[in-house]
Amino acid sequence: MACAASTDLLDRGWRVAPQVAVRPEPFGALIYHFGTRRLTFLKSRPLFDVVASLEQHDTAREACCAAGVPEQELPRYERALITLAGAGMIVTADEP
Amino acid sequence: MSASLVDQLETGLDAPICLTWELTYACNLACVHCLSSSGRRDPRELTTAECMAVIDELERMQVFYINIGGGEPTVRRDFWDLVDYAVAHRVGVKFSTNGSRITAERALWLAQSDYLDVQVSLDGATPEVNDVIRGPGSYATAILAMERLADAGFTGLKLSVVVTRENVPQLDEFKALADLYDAQLRITRLRPSGRGADVWDRLHPTQEQQRELYEWLLANGDDVLTGDSFFHLSGYGAPLPGLNLCGAGRVVCLIDPVGDVYACPFVIHDEFRAGNVRAPGGFARVWRESELFTDLRQPQSTGACVSCGLFDKCRGGCMAAKFFTGLPLDGPDPECVLGHGESLLATRGDAPVPKPSVDMSRRPPSRACDESPLTILHAR
Amino acid sequence: MNIAPDQLEKKAVEPEADEATATLPADEELVVEDLLVEDISIDGMCGVY
Repeated sequence: MACAASTDLLDRGWRVAPQVAVRPEPFGALIYHFGTRRLTFLKSRPLFDVVASLEQHDTAREACCAAGVPEQELPRYERALITLAGAGMIVTADEP
Repeated sequence: MSASLVDQLETGLDAPICLTWELTYACNLACVHCLSSSGRRDPRELTTAECMAVIDELERMQVFYINIGGGEPTVRRDFWDLVDYAVAHRVGVKFSTNGSRITAERALWLAQSDYLDVQVSLDGATPEVNDVIRGPGSYATAILAMERLADAGFTGLKLSVVVTRENVPQLDEFKALADLYDAQLRITRLRPSGRGADVWDRLHPTQEQQRELYEWLLANGDDVLTGDSFFHLSGYGAPLPGLNLCGAGRVVCLIDPVGDVYACPFVIHDEFRAGNVRAPGGFARVWRESELFTDLRQPQSTGACVSCGLFDKCRGGCMAAKFFTGLPLDGPDPECVLGHGESLLATRGDAPVPKPSVDMSRRPPSRACDESPLTILHAR
Repeated sequence: MNIAPDQLEKKAVEPEADEATATLPADEELVVEDLLVEDISIDGMCGVY
């Protein structure tokens, strides 16, 4: 799948943080951080697929491609991942 | 919150997001407004093993968080073990307490625990206001618990207040009290549930106070929790933070001390009882297949409210508030911001209202039995 | 600022045209983007202690 110009977050490896639970729902998913008690709704099923599969891919971009996220949606998904990273829900793959 | 997501949540989820678990009806206090009519222990309480089995189920279902209350949950001997067990099984815990069992040692233990939240209940910023509702000495007990927790280095404490006519003027003081003990203030709605029905007429906020409360939340609500219990006030203007919808039977529910599952802790009545965790299939089956919850997850009839422009915001208010004041569930909330509930209440006058199905109060229940020998004596 | 009359006219017309074509998709994009991830407090559900 052809990919757009490289952006920092999408080209890094990520994973769901250890204290986080992800629960799929018909509308997407619920993601809860046991440490911060923060609860977030993921409002699309593809976003759940991306988040749940982050660890299995070298980069977030690959996870998005594998989840079938269309090229033009990548910026939206990147922004979602930025929000999740800011909330501590996802961490870079090399983080302990 | 988008309209479609609210709709999705109203049709229910495969598992609750969080739930209330009343662990015991036993309580050392006798608060006048107790929503669970607590006081005496029910001998049929779930055993320790049964509680752990429920926790195992919650873990499998990925219920993220439980709010443990009662009665006074800390009077159960296995309470601290159950809390440990839940946390070890990926179920976050908050427990609600009047503070009477929070010793200095226990406060230290709590400070060292992870994924555990504590909520101390108080209904007056001063003993004069508080103790009339919660009993003599209860203010001092709560403050002592908060002091001990602060001294022990506990973080994330919540101070939980039920808003009444008597304490609306104290909102700022409550905030100051919470700040003093490094706690987060939580204010919630008084419902005419349990013993709350006996005091609701004189204790529920006036319309004017409701407005005041709403404005105060808009101004101060950034770090004040509400349990989304004031969504009926959203008709005043901008919606308050939270889902702004009734979660009962859809995203939350109650498990009571004997394992009965109700739509929420404010409707302990057969009409809203979905089943029991001891039945085959346990809690999961009740949540997913009970007739009550299936019904609640259908689109609700809006009846008299259908033509009101504010319905989208208030969503008809609280079914517990309507049920226990004898109002129809498809009509206005008794505290409808437009006063429609008040008018409707006036038309029904003194007609009888539903009574809770469980009353473990330690006082003789004033409503249960009419055959007092004194009545017979006076009738002669 | 010195703008020739024909340019003025253009300026008067173009923004409208831009608005007409740009408003709906921009709004949609904004609304849709806002909705992909949303925070709610674990305390934000009614019916819990």
